Amino acid sequence: MEPEISNQSLLFLVIFVLVPLTLSYFYQLGMSKDILWSSIRGTVQLFAIGYILTFLFDLNPFMGIPLMLSIMIIIATFHAWNKGKELPHAFLVILLGLIIVEVSVLTLWLAFDMVAFTPSEVIPMSGMVIGNSMVAMGLALERMKSEFTENSGRLMAALSLGAKPSQASHLIVTKTLNAALIPNVDRLKTIGLVQLPGMMTGLILGGVAPVMAIKYQLVISLSIFSSVSLSAMFVTMAMYRYFFNKNDQLLENEEELRNQQK
Amino acid sequence: MEHPVFQFQNVSDDILHNMNFEISTNEKVILFGPSGAGKSSLLFLFNRLRDPKQGDINYYGKPVTEYEISQLRRKVGLLLQSPNLFPGTVLDNLKYGPSLCGEWNPDDAKKLLEYVQLPESYLNRNVDQLSGGEQQRVSLGRTLANSPDVLLLDEPTSALDYRTAEEIEEVLERLIEEHQLTMIMVTHDLKQAKRLGERGLFLMDGELKEDGDIESMLTEPETEELKEFIQD
Repeated sequence: MEPEISNQSLLFLVIFVLVPLTLSYFYQLGMSKDILWSSIRGTVQLFAIGYILTFLFDLNPFMGIPLMLSIMIIIATFHAWNKGKELPHAFLVILLGLIIVEVSVLTLWLAFDMVAFTPSEVIPMSGMVIGNSMVAMGLALERMKSEFTENSGRLMAALSLGAKPSQASHLIVTKTLNAALIPNVDRLKTIGLVQLPGMMTGLILGGVAPVMAIKYQLVISLSIFSSVSLSAMFVTMAMYRYFFNKNDQLLENEEELRNQQK
Repeated sequence: MEHPVFQFQNVSDDILHNMNFEISTNEKVILFGPSGAGKSSLLFLFNRLRDPKQGDINYYGKPVTEYEISQLRRKVGLLLQSPNLFPGTVLDNLKYGPSLCGEWNPDDAKKLLEYVQLPESYLNRNVDQLSGGEQQRVSLGRTLANSPDVLLLDEPTSALDYRTAEEIEEVLERLIEEHQLTMIMVTHDLKQAKRLGERGLFLMDGELKEDGDIESMLTEPETEELKEFIQD
């Protein structure tokens, strides 16, 4: 029998929302509206995606999978783009990066028979890859911007010593990539020890044997690790050049960055 | 006829207006004036860390834009107010410039430390362990490693305490003399300007207000603006 939560039981989830609401009320955090709105929005989104997935799972995989992956990639692109809108061509770079990451990961999954080409396997697993890549790209963009601001003196010094932008930015590129990779290395180190990863938990709750669940978890964890590295690397390598103009001069503020876009 | 090292003709941008002057070989020029006058903006035009919107800048008779940009920057070295050292050892910093074009000779390390009067034992020391003055010496050594013809100095001692500033100043004075460098320095310190400079360019609101012998400019200023600036 498949495990199921009854609708009546779900109603009691309101209690979980009441906790932060009460806290917000007593400590006058002014977050009640946000808490209510995000809880309702989250619930509606999840149910909506549930129905959409049910619909997609019934479709021919050659239609359902590309359709859903395209939607996920476009939404993820907009989201990550918000972190670096002022950078020229950021939207295209992120979009291209996500497509490359997803296609590479999917190709490997299918080539080595790790995942079956069915919407019920490819869509949720790709969602995790795309979501994590989106966060990695956003973080890389933010980190890169702050590193360029903080290190403008060093960059000027490097340029003045005859460095090309690629050589001058080496330090920043390294720092950005480090920052993107370290949380993932740490997560992998403690995987299963501190908390059971989400996907494995889901599979076990769904009645899958723990060892089988672990195999899936390994596939997804290492795929995420690799795609996050690739995403951060791609966006950093593609974007650092836009912090300089064609005469190897450092652009020092957002206005100069925007002007370069025109 | 020998070309001047630098020649500015009607150079203007958002900050600077109509700059016209020449700088000859081995000249020691001080750029001074109130904050926001455009001194650093002007300084960064010499090695093309910035470009003007209008006008021509020639380096030894040829437009700066005709030089390969990295090559020009190696020849026109810059020392900033903060040392801005790269993470790593003193050696990593000293060899940075020459290594970029595969010209680093390991024997130069000792010589560079000698120039800036740091002991040889400092070579493998991490730059985080150095004092402010020592860091500025390493920064100067790093600039000299490229064997520049011109040295641009952007308030190189203003972030240091009085005693350390004096020491750095002595090192600078000796090196500029020994290496026959053309020096262009931005400073707020008028006493330092007199000690290190020969010629002054007084800037205000992006305009070149006075150009002459630094000693006479500071003792007998010609313009009202310079008089007021000295009194302040």
